Amino acid sequence: MNTTFSFNRLVLMLKRFFIENRNKEIMSWGILILVFTLVHNSANAKILLYIMGFIFAAKQFKSFAYTPGGMHYLLIPSTHLEKLVTSILLSTVYFFTMFILTYSIGNVIGTNLYNLVFTQSTQVTWDFFNATDIQKFGGSFDFLPGGNAFLEMIVNFLIIQSTFMLGSIYFKRGALGKTMLSILAFYFVIGLIELFLLKVIFVDLTTLRGMNSFSFMTESSSILKIIGNGFKIFCYLLIPYFWTVTYFRLTEKQV
Amino acid sequence: MIDIKSVDFSYSRNTKLLSGLSLQLETGRIHGLLGKNGEGKSTLLKLISGLVFPQKGEIEVMGFLPQKRLPEMLQDIFFLPEELPQLSMNIENYEKVYAPFYPNFNSEQFNKFLKEFEIENKKSLLNKLSHGQKKKVMIAFGLATNTRLLLLDEPTNGLDIPSKGQFRRMVASGINEERCLVISTHQVHDLDSLIDNIIIMDGHEIVFNQSIENIAHKLLFRVSDRKETDDTVIYSEDTLRGLYQVCENKTATESKVDIELLFNAIFADKKRIKQLFQ
Repeated sequence: MNTTFSFNRLVLMLKRFFIENRNKEIMSWGILILVFTLVHNSANAKILLYIMGFIFAAKQFKSFAYTPGGMHYLLIPSTHLEKLVTSILLSTVYFFTMFILTYSIGNVIGTNLYNLVFTQSTQVTWDFFNATDIQKFGGSFDFLPGGNAFLEMIVNFLIIQSTFMLGSIYFKRGALGKTMLSILAFYFVIGLIELFLLKVIFVDLTTLRGMNSFSFMTESSSILKIIGNGFKIFCYLLIPYFWTVTYFRLTEKQV
Repeated sequence: MIDIKSVDFSYSRNTKLLSGLSLQLETGRIHGLLGKNGEGKSTLLKLISGLVFPQKGEIEVMGFLPQKRLPEMLQDIFFLPEELPQLSMNIENYEKVYAPFYPNFNSEQFNKFLKEFEIENKKSLLNKLSHGQKKKVMIAFGLATNTRLLLLDEPTNGLDIPSKGQFRRMVASGINEERCLVISTHQVHDLDSLIDNIIIMDGHEIVFNQSIENIAHKLLFRVSDRKETDDTVIYSEDTLRGLYQVCENKTATESKVDIELLFNAIFADKKRIKQLFQ
């Protein structure tokens, strides 16, 4: 018997999810099709992707919220790695595929219904996949070379997914809210440190205020490029890092 | 099968739940784990199954370290907790999803046990069943997994009177030389004539661990006249039916072990019982 990873057991774990959550899944994806039908051709679908993505990721280890549920889950004869991979696959590949599928179906139905009712001939637009779209979530992090917004969106999504999945196993109850609060607290601390450092460097805050419209990142200096790339790598590494921490958290989980 | 050596465990820093606990359990037996509330019976079952980890000491279950929760070990353990999980699927799907994880699962046996418990409709949703019915499904499933180790925490809680008898019959038919059953319970009468080894926990340690044969050999359980008393009497309980006594069995008389009386006798005179069995 394979003690580390068995594909058969992984399939059984996935099957378990789909059988156990069949009705809930059909209902939630059905509602999403309805939403995309109503707000078809919307460029803001990615915001919904992020919001739904972190809700879905935060629910991955929800069985631990109720002790007998957690016991039942931990005693399923599969390895911790298989359990983790199942959760990753469900909250990334499955979730993303279903999101795109519902977006596409809703968009096509919505546009055609609109044309039928209002006798228009609007074309179905696929803004969600638009590579030239410069709208980015959470500021202006240019994660990928060439500015491919769709790929960048996937990276953003994976960072959010891995963070909330870790939150899901870290917090016993209210994982979603507590993870959000933790992120806010983290950014607050980072903000304070940043403010402190800037104050130390510039001494006078009026100089700093005068630099509000000045962007360091537009400078073509090689040092800034190195810092920028280093930040990108740091962001990429956050994904496997959070998954790894989730794995260790799962192996150490006691109920 | 199970080897526990000097295990310490606590849920908080200030209070120790188990301290220096050692216990060996053999196969082919049904072990009854008894003790007052909060003595750590359920925790002991959790330690055996790897749901909690010992802070000190070692536990070995079928040659595995439980805290690793390896699938080879888990597929040979079935743990029925006192409180059951919320499962939003029907019995048929439960079998479809979880049975493949247990290589020795026997579907025919599962159906037979369900039938004995008078659960005919496998399309019934588990979270729509009463606690007792859900427990019956889980007991039937657990027995049908044919795992070498079966841990049952208060299995008869919530079962109606006929079901308790059915449970005893099923468990008795399900045990063999390779299996080990550990039943933690307060309902000692439900396990009457079922368990063949009694383990009693007190003060967060094992104070008694003897086979029924040995108990019957060393102790005499009798109902006697109220006036009758001698130095062999360890414990007596005055009831409407007479004076129930636990005595030293000096005459090698055969008697049926009354688990409740034994439990009370141990708590009344732990030292004497300990000496007797040493």
